[in-house]
Amino acid sequence: MMSWKERLIDRMPAELAREIDIYETQMALKRQGKVEDKLFAETRLRRGVYGQRYDNGQRHDGSTQRTLSFPCGDLTKGTETVWDAPGMQRIKIPFGGLTPDQMDVLADVAEEYSDGISHVTTRQDIQLHYIRIDDTPDLMRRLAAVSITTREACGNSVRNVTACPLSGVCSDEAFDVTPYAKACSRFLLGHPDVQDFGRKFKPAFSGCKHRACGLTTMHDLGFIARIRVENGVERRGFEMYVGGGLGAVPYQAKLFDEFVPEEEILPLSQAISRIYARHGEKKNRNRARIKFLVDKLGIDRFREMVLEERRGLPHNEAWTDYLKELPAYGEKPLKPATKLNSGARSTAFETWRASNVYRQKQPGYAVATATLPLGDITSWQMRQLADIARRYVGENVRTTVEQNILLRWVSEADLPALHGELERIGLGEAGAGTIMDITACPGTDTCKLGIASSRGLAAELGERLAAKYQQLDEAVKGLHIKISGCFNSCGQQHLADLGFYGVSRNVGGMTVPHFRVVLGGQWEENAGSYGVAIGVVPSKRVPDFVDRITEKYLTEREKGERFREFIERVGKRELKALVDELATVPPYELDRSYYSDWRDPREFTLSDIAKGECAGEVVSRIDFDLQGAERQYFEAQLQFEAGNHQKAGETAYSAMLAAAKGLIRTQYQDITDDADTIVREFRARFYDTELFHDKYAGGKFAHYLFGRHEDKERTFDTDKTRRLLEETQLFIEAAHACNARMIGQNAAAPMIANQEPASVARV
Amino acid sequence: MTADGAVDLHKIGVKFFAEQGNAVELVEFIPIFHRWIQTDALDDLLIDVADYSHVHAGPGTLLVADAGHYGFDETGRRRGMVYYSKHVLTGTLPERLAAVCRKVLLACQLLEQAPELQGRLKFDGNEVQIFSNDRLCAPNNEETFRAFEPALKEFLTKLYAGSGYSLNRETNSKERFCVTAKTSEPVRLDTLLGRLAA
Repeated sequence: MMSWKERLIDRMPAELAREIDIYETQMALKRQGKVEDKLFAETRLRRGVYGQRYDNGQRHDGSTQRTLSFPCGDLTKGTETVWDAPGMQRIKIPFGGLTPDQMDVLADVAEEYSDGISHVTTRQDIQLHYIRIDDTPDLMRRLAAVSITTREACGNSVRNVTACPLSGVCSDEAFDVTPYAKACSRFLLGHPDVQDFGRKFKPAFSGCKHRACGLTTMHDLGFIARIRVENGVERRGFEMYVGGGLGAVPYQAKLFDEFVPEEEILPLSQAISRIYARHGEKKNRNRARIKFLVDKLGIDRFREMVLEERRGLPHNEAWTDYLKELPAYGEKPLKPATKLNSGARSTAFETWRASNVYRQKQPGYAVATATLPLGDITSWQMRQLADIARRYVGENVRTTVEQNILLRWVSEADLPALHGELERIGLGEAGAGTIMDITACPGTDTCKLGIASSRGLAAELGERLAAKYQQLDEAVKGLHIKISGCFNSCGQQHLADLGFYGVSRNVGGMTVPHFRVVLGGQWEENAGSYGVAIGVVPSKRVPDFVDRITEKYLTEREKGERFREFIERVGKRELKALVDELATVPPYELDRSYYSDWRDPREFTLSDIAKGECAGEVVSRIDFDLQGAERQYFEAQLQFEAGNHQKAGETAYSAMLAAAKGLIRTQYQDITDDADTIVREFRARFYDTELFHDKYAGGKFAHYLFGRHEDKERTFDTDKTRRLLEETQLFIEAAHACNARMIGQNAAAPMIANQEPASVARV
Repeated sequence: MTADGAVDLHKIGVKFFAEQGNAVELVEFIPIFHRWIQTDALDDLLIDVADYSHVHAGPGTLLVADAGHYGFDETGRRRGMVYYSKHVLTGTLPERLAAVCRKVLLACQLLEQAPELQGRLKFDGNEVQIFSNDRLCAPNNEETFRAFEPALKEFLTKLYAGSGYSLNRETNSKERFCVTAKTSEPVRLDTLLGRLAA
């Protein structure tokens, strides 16, 4: 039977197809025990293949801890991560942009490999759960065939580049940031300078400063569109921020520059990446995000270092190539602009229109929001929504950080019919962006780090609020609720009017799920300020707390006072008292409901928490490079076995070059792929200096590379090829040993900016 | 499909519809499925329970297992118990269909007997939905149906003991290959299980 690989070979971009083949080979090597756990874990994470709760093979069933005996036995896919245990696949959707064809494929893979649900994340990604790792290469191929990559969706790399979902249609924006976000995403994807980070790195783009939009100030790297008039000419650029982030201790990003011209955003991003890779913390995972580096150095010193790095960067046409395409860039509406007529319409439609429709700056067009409960959409709904998009808006679909899906460029006259279609598929609910539209991270449902059930609480609150939505005061309807299952803030609770994150408390010797209350965060102004943590309430009392705090706001607010201002005025002492009124947990014998979480009847325990994979594994670039050489050597062996000696010989040579290049890169970051350059640099830096020399064999192994490189007339008979394969293996082993010695002796020359080639440096 | 035109399908799903399923809230299945995990109620490595009661016509309440997933599901706006395999199955295609069918029938029986539901849930034995969860092996088209039909007939003949049945096919080519067979006579679940065991 034909495989997906064969079926899709002509539809996948060659580069994506090759990357997936490489990943599949790495899986094969892991199964053979040829890749260590830590390295494979980071390898799969950089393909978006993420761990999930219970993947250590342990689960508490409410009464006892049980071992899940997966059929794979001892085979692992990371430290304490069982190969067969279901995992999560994160799929990058740059700036949230989707086409109907992509939606169809997402629906299919969710159905066939997951559980029929696509989950939109708070970073505009899509996640699938309960995935078997053996299915991931084909899953990736099917996505690649519609130009979606999962590369660097997790791990210590550049995550999905997010952008305001209204970019290009927003009345307040300076200009459409979409092509810039796209270019940034493309430029940084797989870039050599983003492979050696201590932690993840999240960029975001926003079209304006004052709305929520891209939430730039909570990002590692944030861009806000600006237009500057110089000599009477309008010039595009960005207000650029760096070093923001949520997590356990949220940081507001620092202003890097008030105006970075458009042609400078990519080289500056590259320079920042180099500084972060070189100076960022690698050992202490809790201090490894760039926010800590910026904080430690101070923004002024950090800026100086970045600008110095920038001055020395080798020029790259890709920095500005995309700017040439900008004049032609623009989304094409499917249908002509037509205003909504004034005929009678249903209350349901008007309610939906009030919350879910945004009038575009282009007259006669609107953006409609399909509200996804908890960010979830079924495969059937996804396919139906794709068809609806085809009929009404064409390719203009985006995911949002509020876990919804937008249809852009809806001709206004189509809105009633569109609403009818959305209702038909169960996505026509009103309330987008209101108190009912609750954001929640996966929490204890699937996350290894989850403490309390964020989704369970969100579902419960959502149901209760939906039941009384029409009766709610407008001031309450406009509030935001965001929930995280733990302090790591994936649910972005710091930005909400009412934020909650999961904690636990010991009551009478038993563990009880609680949520810490965070009040008064600011969603607007690009996440302008963070909320204040007040106190903790038992999980089962959170709905009561929401009722009480909103009631208090309604009755005690001053005229025109917004919730954040109200919280600030009332003060922590009074708010704490309100929280404390609900803090009491009855004894277990009186009310057991407190001792289990929402929608999970098991007696609550923390024993299911395992080591998370958010932080990835710290694996240096040289480890990946040497692993790449190993993989090529493995491929060469397979080719040899298949009788393809020439191909085997060439691949083996390529493997030696890859290993040599990896070593060179520890000293000279900008080493090229040119074989002559690699061999020359290797000779100068590692052979002449005797760094590569074995204690007993001396420089013998280096001669295997030199000999093969100089032998231009090589023939590929069986014996010669076999010998070359053996030499390749020894060369790669020697490269590993050399690397180990350098680490031991700290002999690798420290990475400095813009190192010159060895030949030049020696002169 | 194999070279000789047969369907070598392993990712098979079978669903039996609920007679009185609307009387039960989806969240009521959550504690039941957790109890099944605690008591090893099914012959599978049961892992966890996923709550999708908030989505429209979706997987409902899912019982995640290693070899496949169980669920009280609402796909197609019809409630019922489903099981779909995710691993390679053994035997001929009719045998694989029977094995998957047996799994879901046992789960249906357990649900009907669940003390938490107090008899509020019954399943129709006379209607069964069978689907492929593998578009590479079995895309939803006429060719697949023709290739699948002999195995399907063999399986349904066994399940319904030669009684006549009507067959409906999902016509939307984007949806999974899916057929629903229905007999006119009511059939008990234990009768079906007995026939499959024979």
